[in-house]
Amino acid sequence: MKKAGTLFKITTLFTFLGLFVFSSGAHAASKIVIGHPACLSGKYAKAGEQAVGGIKACVNWVNKVYGGVSLGGKKIPLVYKYYDCESKKEAVTSLIARLISSDRVNVVFAPYSSGLTLRGAPVAESRKMLYMDHGGANNKIFRQGFRYVVQTIGPATRYHEGTLDMIKKIDPSAKKVALAYEDSEFAKMVMFGAEVHAKKLGLNVVFKRTYPKGVTDLTPLLSAMKAARPDFVLGGGHFEDGQLFSRQMADLDIDVKALSLIAAATLPAFYEALGSLAEGVMGPSHWEYGVKYSEAEAKKVGLPWIGPSQDEFVALFKKAVGKNIIPDYHAAEAGAQVLAYVLAVEKSNSLNSDKVRVALGDLKFMSFYGGWDVDDTGMQVGHSMVDVQWQAAKRVIVWPEEAQTGKLCYPMPTFKEKAKGKLAVP
Amino acid sequence: MLLEQLAGNLFQGLVLGAVYGMATMGLSLIFGVLRIVNVGHGAFIMVGAFVTLWLFTALGISPLVAVPVAFVVGLGLGFIFYYTAIKKLIKAPELASLLATFSIGILLEEVIKLIFGSEFRGYNWALPKIDLGVTVLPLSKLYACIGSIIIALILYLWFNKTRAGTAMRSVVEDTEGAKVCGVNVDRVYANSFAIGIGLTLASGVLLTMFIPVGINPYMGGSYTLKAFVIAVLGGLTSPYGAFFGGLVFGLIENGSYTLFALIPGVEPFALTRFLSFLMLLVILLIRPTGILKGK
Repeated sequence: MKKAGTLFKITTLFTFLGLFVFSSGAHAASKIVIGHPACLSGKYAKAGEQAVGGIKACVNWVNKVYGGVSLGGKKIPLVYKYYDCESKKEAVTSLIARLISSDRVNVVFAPYSSGLTLRGAPVAESRKMLYMDHGGANNKIFRQGFRYVVQTIGPATRYHEGTLDMIKKIDPSAKKVALAYEDSEFAKMVMFGAEVHAKKLGLNVVFKRTYPKGVTDLTPLLSAMKAARPDFVLGGGHFEDGQLFSRQMADLDIDVKALSLIAAATLPAFYEALGSLAEGVMGPSHWEYGVKYSEAEAKKVGLPWIGPSQDEFVALFKKAVGKNIIPDYHAAEAGAQVLAYVLAVEKSNSLNSDKVRVALGDLKFMSFYGGWDVDDTGMQVGHSMVDVQWQAAKRVIVWPEEAQTGKLCYPMPTFKEKAKGKLAVP
Repeated sequence: MLLEQLAGNLFQGLVLGAVYGMATMGLSLIFGVLRIVNVGHGAFIMVGAFVTLWLFTALGISPLVAVPVAFVVGLGLGFIFYYTAIKKLIKAPELASLLATFSIGILLEEVIKLIFGSEFRGYNWALPKIDLGVTVLPLSKLYACIGSIIIALILYLWFNKTRAGTAMRSVVEDTEGAKVCGVNVDRVYANSFAIGIGLTLASGVLLTMFIPVGINPYMGGSYTLKAFVIAVLGGLTSPYGAFFGGLVFGLIENGSYTLFALIPGVEPFALTRFLSFLMLLVILLIRPTGILKGK
């Protein structure tokens, strides 16, 4: 009986010791592992490649410039473990399970797109694993009651707010807006936000329709839109349909004062595919090379600063992908997410998902990506978007005024003018 | 205004339908002669699209020239795949040839991805447009439509006026009878498969003349689906039927959009897809030989 009592005490002691060590996670760690089911092939390969490059760039910065993550009085290096999810939902769930169970990662970064992010969330949630979202903008992700999902990319409903504000300010006579979006959760949420904001500004939504994913011909929809005679058009969904949208607007000679497409218009491949037809086309972006976020700017608005400067990030990104390309917002938001995680680990002095999650909730900072702050649900509320426009084969930030690298070309050139070589230069 | 839109969409549907029809002829020819369902059909369309893209962007060669180039590339691919895989599977259970063509499709996708990457690409062939009043038609689309009609006519003449074409028809009608009459059935099989693939690659060129964006290794899937609907509509064994099936499909797909848009609270595109598959079901039930009764 006495033996059994001693055994019980020893077992209890070791259990508590074990619990303490594992729950704090601060003292045993020799590395901090970020897991990521990345979209390196399939339909989101373009965005996926950028995201992986952005994460690698910031992991390198943390390890080599920042000296590692301060945890339990030590500097711990970050390790980035990723697999190709082929942009497929079924692969996302199995890879997240593998990252958590076999690779024993400390945090999971979600794949690109709202659909894939949403698919992976319950898997991470059921294992009480912090799940950081850099590519899923749909507000619905944060209406499911998930505790461990934290967003870096901004919510979809705000994508076109800046565009509408800008047009309202520049041309108060432009009242008729057409909304034509892909029939996806993300795009419909953007359209919902745009419609609400347009009505708030007193604009008249004269056309509102969706088109299915994988559409190969938008002629019937665009013909109907043409008949509604909008002043400007907001639309798109993902890269491929954005290309098609612009191309077929040109085919049908649908001239409007402004055209803004989500996801597609901000990528260099958009101009490569369309050439001069892309002149004047705009797109909302979470980040664009040329934005003016800096340590001095952070000081001015009273936020702590972390991370590389914009140019340092670009250099690190180029090294990470091995190509001489400028990163787009997919890379920047993924990179900024690394910085948010690092700050939260340091703030909580722990790797425990619950503690890091609490720290993320209290976190406010600025990096090359801009502001970062989340609400109680984990949704990003501290980051502002910018609007870019293709002008003479270059992307120019045209909104907000404080971030402008050039003036808006408004109205954009007609397709006949573009065919004659006119560029969208204000 | 509504009638104007309907007329414009029907015209666009007719032009696109001709290209869809052309894009299905290869599928029907292969099934008609070899009784093999080419599940990798869309991947061959994709290869044709990449031939156009590469010729235009790298060498500045017009997509019109790309049509015969793609046809020749297709012939080559057709012979290679026939002698390495398909020949052994003609007498095998249907599942074997289905899996083989599916694998060939994936192989092509991955090879193209390896060479060109997985990005969505496009090219800008700046040609004038014709304003028809009810709609605007770029010349590139008109060329694609005319090209499809010419290729369909050439195939018709080849089938009906040449010895090789007659041999092919005899194999379709009665393989054993054709053998007895001295037709080299194996050569007919090889030629049919190669010509079918050649036509499919050429249709990939014509499709990019209609839609010169969204070119990527995985673009073929949606065209495979449409090709099956059109093939059933036109009669699975009839290349001409497939061409007419394409015209009907294009007209219905575009025309119905305008009409469905009149129903309040409905997204017309969702219903046009529903209609396409309803059409497939109805044709299979009431006229399985297609609108031309398999001719």
